[in-house]
Amino acid sequence: MLRPEPLYRIQLVLLASEAQDAALALARFGAFNPAPGGAETLAQTPAAAYREVWLEAEARLAKLLAQCGDTGALELPPDAEAPSLADLEELNAWLKDVWTACLDCHDATQRLDETHARLAALEDTLARLERLDVDLGRLLRPDSLLAVRLGSLPADNVRRLNEALALSGHVLSRFDQSGDQVYAVIAGPRARHDDVRGLLAQAGWRELELPDELRTHPRAARGWLESERQRVEMQSGAQCEVLDGLRGRFGPRLHEARQRLALAHPLSEAARAGVRGQGGLAALTGWIPKRRLAALRATLDARFHGRYWLDLREPGPREVADVPSLVRYPAWLAPFVPLVKSYGVPRYGEFDPALPFAFAWLLLFGAMFGDVGHGAVIALVAAGLAPRLGRIAWVGVAAGAASMVFGLLYGSVFGYETLIEPLWLSPLHDPIRMLMLAVGFGVGFIVCTLLVNVWNKAAAGHAGEALFDSGGLAGLAFYLGAVGVVASLAGAADLVPQAAWLAGGGLVVVAVFKWTETRATPGERALVTAIETLETGIGLFSNTLSFMRVAAFSLNHVALALAVFTLAGGLGAAGHWIAIVLGNVVIMALEGAIVAIQAMRLMYYEGFSRFFNGDGTEFVPLRIVSGEG
Amino acid sequence: MTPASTDAYLDTRVSLFAGRLWPDAALDALIDADDAAVAGGLAHKGLSMLAPQAEQAGASLEQRIVAQILDETRVLIRPLAGEARDFLSFWTARFEMSNVKALLRSKMNGERAAAALARLVPMGAFGRLDGEALAHAEDAGELLRRLEAGPYAGIVRHARRAFEQSRDPFVLDAALDQGYYEGLVARAQPLEARFGAPLRGLMAALVDRINLVWLLRYRFNYGLPPAQVYYLLIGARYDLPGARLRELAQLGALPAVLAALPAPWRARLTGARDIPDVFARMERAGAEQALRVLRGHAPPLARAFAYLILRERDLRALRAVLRGHRLGLGAADIRLALQRAPVRLH
Repeated sequence: MLRPEPLYRIQLVLLASEAQDAALALARFGAFNPAPGGAETLAQTPAAAYREVWLEAEARLAKLLAQCGDTGALELPPDAEAPSLADLEELNAWLKDVWTACLDCHDATQRLDETHARLAALEDTLARLERLDVDLGRLLRPDSLLAVRLGSLPADNVRRLNEALALSGHVLSRFDQSGDQVYAVIAGPRARHDDVRGLLAQAGWRELELPDELRTHPRAARGWLESERQRVEMQSGAQCEVLDGLRGRFGPRLHEARQRLALAHPLSEAARAGVRGQGGLAALTGWIPKRRLAALRATLDARFHGRYWLDLREPGPREVADVPSLVRYPAWLAPFVPLVKSYGVPRYGEFDPALPFAFAWLLLFGAMFGDVGHGAVIALVAAGLAPRLGRIAWVGVAAGAASMVFGLLYGSVFGYETLIEPLWLSPLHDPIRMLMLAVGFGVGFIVCTLLVNVWNKAAAGHAGEALFDSGGLAGLAFYLGAVGVVASLAGAADLVPQAAWLAGGGLVVVAVFKWTETRATPGERALVTAIETLETGIGLFSNTLSFMRVAAFSLNHVALALAVFTLAGGLGAAGHWIAIVLGNVVIMALEGAIVAIQAMRLMYYEGFSRFFNGDGTEFVPLRIVSGEG
Repeated sequence: MTPASTDAYLDTRVSLFAGRLWPDAALDALIDADDAAVAGGLAHKGLSMLAPQAEQAGASLEQRIVAQILDETRVLIRPLAGEARDFLSFWTARFEMSNVKALLRSKMNGERAAAALARLVPMGAFGRLDGEALAHAEDAGELLRRLEAGPYAGIVRHARRAFEQSRDPFVLDAALDQGYYEGLVARAQPLEARFGAPLRGLMAALVDRINLVWLLRYRFNYGLPPAQVYYLLIGARYDLPGARLRELAQLGALPAVLAALPAPWRARLTGARDIPDVFARMERAGAEQALRVLRGHAPPLARAFAYLILRERDLRALRAVLRGHRLGLGAADIRLALQRAPVRLH
């Protein structure tokens, strides 16, 4: 719980023809994180084609499901096998056929919609031409010297097309507009008719297909239009039946395709990291927890009966940065984990701060917002929101409980300081003591973070930094010495000479270390050393004082309550209680949020930044279905 | 950031970046240099990732060059907001348009999604398209429909309609290019009003050069009729407005077009033999213009745009040199392929 689990790097070598089953078995095993490897000796990538086909098939299936609807819950039999590459290709080809059929249906529907729109436009056009009393048959005569076209184009293109047509001796005349489509007549010399063909295509010109029935006087064409409209209506109904038929016909097989693609997902996912191979062999490389080794062997034996080779080793010192971190948390700690992970993931071998974070954050929140009443409301509201917020709501419940505990210690209930006797003390009655305690807590907190940093650096093999750096033992010696000097000057101890030697010695060691670590010209080294050493002292001093806010907020809580009571005291009976209730709501919402953020800030900036790199990689086990919990 | 601090940031950044530009002599020396010297020269200009030794599996030279340009653009636009940020961001969208064209070609050729994806230029934070999903479209029609539902709908809508009428890949490419540059002009217009002549000068040099080269190419290489040529050009009002372009499109030969250009252009293009020569001369004129803006007291945004134009010119030249080296071409062949005329400030 305090550090990531020890892992083995494994390489599972087996027949390439069984790679998909091996990946499936590892996904069912549930604790295998694929990783690249084996490139030196195994030059081929036997699963690359598998992944490519899987991706294509998955994309087609997703589109089909979006088109034809979901096929129900996915249940995979425990003994189901993963499809081979040939099976997957066959499935992919089938999905392509179905999707192409769907696309055709889709296109046909779109064409019908367009035909509807065209007929409507044609009817409008006819209505206009009827008024003009023009015979379309004569206007569009193929043997005329004047070539005339009727059609539509996007309104944005009209001006430019008109300018361009002028270069070919053509003119454009718009006679109608529907949405962004302009309906127009283009006329020009028939001899230059071909000159504008490409231009019109470029401009998105769509010819109005005028059947022979329409190439007559408009009044005679109206009857034809009516019959055409009825024919399209009938076609439209038939088209819907085709789409419905698609769903009914392919639904069960699509569900089966979903199952097979889910079973194929593990090898596809493992191939993303890189499954290597040579000849007829394939190797899956990755990480497993040490404690699960026996279980893994049992899984593989049960499935492959010895037809595999399992190579394993501890992570090497140079690859620690690439090793994923797997940390197991008890259920009660899990709600706090996202708050830690929002800062970062611990590196393999690093200290995991989730447990101390949970305790310290609750302690700080409670200390800054100690009130039995407010804490109870926060806990109840958070518990009430648990179904909606999930387990993160329990952070609110715990924060409320911490607030209640400190409320008992401070003797505060909804800001009233007289309802119960404090078990310890009321912050407002001894603010100096509160400030001293807060700073004392800060000193302890920073000492702990420095010790954790020493441990982390030593675990990562950086002994120099662990011993001599500002965040190492030398920095710790300086800090403790400086605290001793300040405490002695304040009269709390009598250790000035010893503490001063300790602080001075620590600082000199830090300075020498900075000097040796800096690669630059002597002048630059001196500057860097001086500034960084100075920064060590100033940083630790200011970080310690930062904890005074714990006391300040505990005082602030009481002060805010006093302000509410003063305000309420000046109002009548009804106004008094309204002011009390509203004031408490404001205190809980506003101050509660500020205190939660301040506690988080102290943890992140004064704590995590000192020892926690947060640049580790999370252990992501291979799963059968992507995103499965 | 306040406008003053934004300007200060951008000015400082551009001045620092300007030190990375390649003088013509340095680029010329690179042509004759061996691998170690090339790597040293590239490292000196902050381009070690382009060195032959840094060849990474899966990242082509083109992809690494674009990554460098995107990275520098990202740094430059950091303090910008609104129209200025939109303009410089859209300048990088050319690479995404190339990705769109690559995807469309792969669909027309019936390639697999993985092959198309490998060719795409990673756009990083500037990426607005889901390449993975687009690569898995079944055909060009589906791809265009998906694109039409995305951020480049305005550009793609006309291209799709034109393509559906003709099924001609040229029509599609030309419509996408035209749509992109008209989008750039539209984004530049409000900024030209704010930042005045320097930015307008850069845009004019860019758009007029593209229009002239396209006009010559479409008219005399592809033999398109004048009306279609005019229609395919970028609609803008710089030194070559629509009326002038219509006149030029109707002329029947390269010398006639060059003779009908405005006087300053005629002087610049006198003796141009062919279209690549016209392109090289116009490109040099554009680079000179950009260099003047970069070194002068222009508004920071104009200087940043000038830097990006010059940087891309440099990186294109570097690509030619590095490719030439890789193919084992002689120095003379590389210089010929480079077509980079030295830039001189008058």
